[in-house]
Amino acid sequence: MHDGIFFEKAGIPSAVCATTEFSNAALAQAKALGLPDFKVILVEHPIQPLTAEEVYGRAEAVFGQMVEKVTGRLQ
Amino acid sequence: MPKLYDPTAAPKQAGAALAARLPDLHDKTVGLLDISKAKGNFFLDRVEEILTAQFQPRAIIRRMKPTFARPAPEDIRRELAQDCDVLIEALAD
Amino acid sequence: MPHDTPLNAELDAIEYYFEQGVTDGLPVVPPTEERMQSMLAATSRAADEVVALVPPNFGAASVEKIAVNAVMAGCKPAFLPVVIAGVRAMCDDRVNLHGVQGTTHTATPLFIVNGPVRQQLDINCAAGVFGSGWRANATIGRALRLIMMNIGGALPGEIDKSTMGHPGKYTYCIGEYEEQNPWAPLHIEHGYAPEQSTISVYCCDAPQCVSNHGSRTARGILDTLGASMAVGWSDTTYLAGNYIVVLGPEHANSMAADGMSKQDVKRYLYENVRRPLHELLPGPDGREGVKRDNLPGWLNAADDFSLIPKVSSPDGIIVVVAGGTAGRFSVHMCGWGGGAGRSELATVPIET
Repeated sequence: MHDGIFFEKAGIPSAVCATTEFSNAALAQAKALGLPDFKVILVEHPIQPLTAEEVYGRAEAVFGQMVEKVTGRLQ
Repeated sequence: MPKLYDPTAAPKQAGAALAARLPDLHDKTVGLLDISKAKGNFFLDRVEEILTAQFQPRAIIRRMKPTFARPAPEDIRRELAQDCDVLIEALAD
Repeated sequence: MPHDTPLNAELDAIEYYFEQGVTDGLPVVPPTEERMQSMLAATSRAADEVVALVPPNFGAASVEKIAVNAVMAGCKPAFLPVVIAGVRAMCDDRVNLHGVQGTTHTATPLFIVNGPVRQQLDINCAAGVFGSGWRANATIGRALRLIMMNIGGALPGEIDKSTMGHPGKYTYCIGEYEEQNPWAPLHIEHGYAPEQSTISVYCCDAPQCVSNHGSRTARGILDTLGASMAVGWSDTTYLAGNYIVVLGPEHANSMAADGMSKQDVKRYLYENVRRPLHELLPGPDGREGVKRDNLPGWLNAADDFSLIPKVSSPDGIIVVVAGGTAGRFSVHMCGWGGGAGRSELATVPIET
């Protein structure tokens, strides 16, 4: 979170991806760092036991959200 | 009630604004920052693939933090802040 | 409805602090003006002096904010210098509190006190050292935990993602039993004079107790201890991490009588807590293990029977002495790993 928020404050639109287990931690952290509107993109938990193909699927599932996060619109 | 003290620290950072969004990703330099948790590389591999297929980015700069346990080191932050138009960071689990 | 009697006002204040979400689940002592003045009188530092920025939120731990949490924890004013030193220690870069506060692992800071302050403040080093009953141990550790939460921002279930937690998150503070330590205590090992009181921080699991009542040799005791350490973090996590061993006085003194120094103890564990490579390889179902291509050059990665050490060097094992003088027990705890990005021990002097 620290990094994503650093880049936002530096003027670079950013998308940070974290699994669903981290959603409330991410929110708390964003508030504490002064950017309460900075939302993470939530990826289905868990990741550790997955195969490479399954992880590719996780990326595909949220790719659209990433683009929307940095461009502000659906593509 | 008598005065009672607050044990919490006020957040150090005042409210700030989000960065301006880009119109699209064509001809942009995209930074991909791997926080270095296991299997995050697969996630960013696929992101990189789809990015290249769907847009024509000017460049993709892929970097990895030395450890997920601390914020990215100064030199990585500086490089990405200087050279990238947009930043994607993954994957905290 | 205003309450008239002081007793009711006190009970209301206790509930108020529960409601504000600034407690560890147990009632706190309301930090009133009077209690705060007494507490702040115990230090010559200015109330607005910032001692450290506490991760992960980098909240400013001023002397005043530290004092608030110390009052809440139930500290006597005389404990404040120890709490202040504890804050400096836990925010030391080597500890990487930022990482530890947000980990899913169990590790949490353990505070170890050395020097004359143990007698001055009645900090327990002996029987029941990891248990309850001593105000100093209980409240100093508790104050530091409240500071991690209230100033650092790591609330359990939010930024503090520890899957299991452990009871040390209420309080985890011991004195080293220097008088029963046949070797140099921790602070002297780290270059401090015997009469300089210090506080050390080491992030780790809850204590795992090991019994060996029969061995008369150092090796015998260490073989039992080592077999238990062998499964720290997981049974296939090798050549990684760091550990702390808290030897009970009977064990420590038997080992010294058998001719071992503290360094010999560390070296023995490093050389003997080993497993053959083929038992440690990643499992077919994805279970973690030691990867052949990650082994350092001095180990033969091609040999399935290469003995892989639990830790990458004897320095990965911290040895202290504490606990009662009756009972041949020791405990050990797994740390949060050493090296870049992980967490190491830090020792700082206690200044009055």
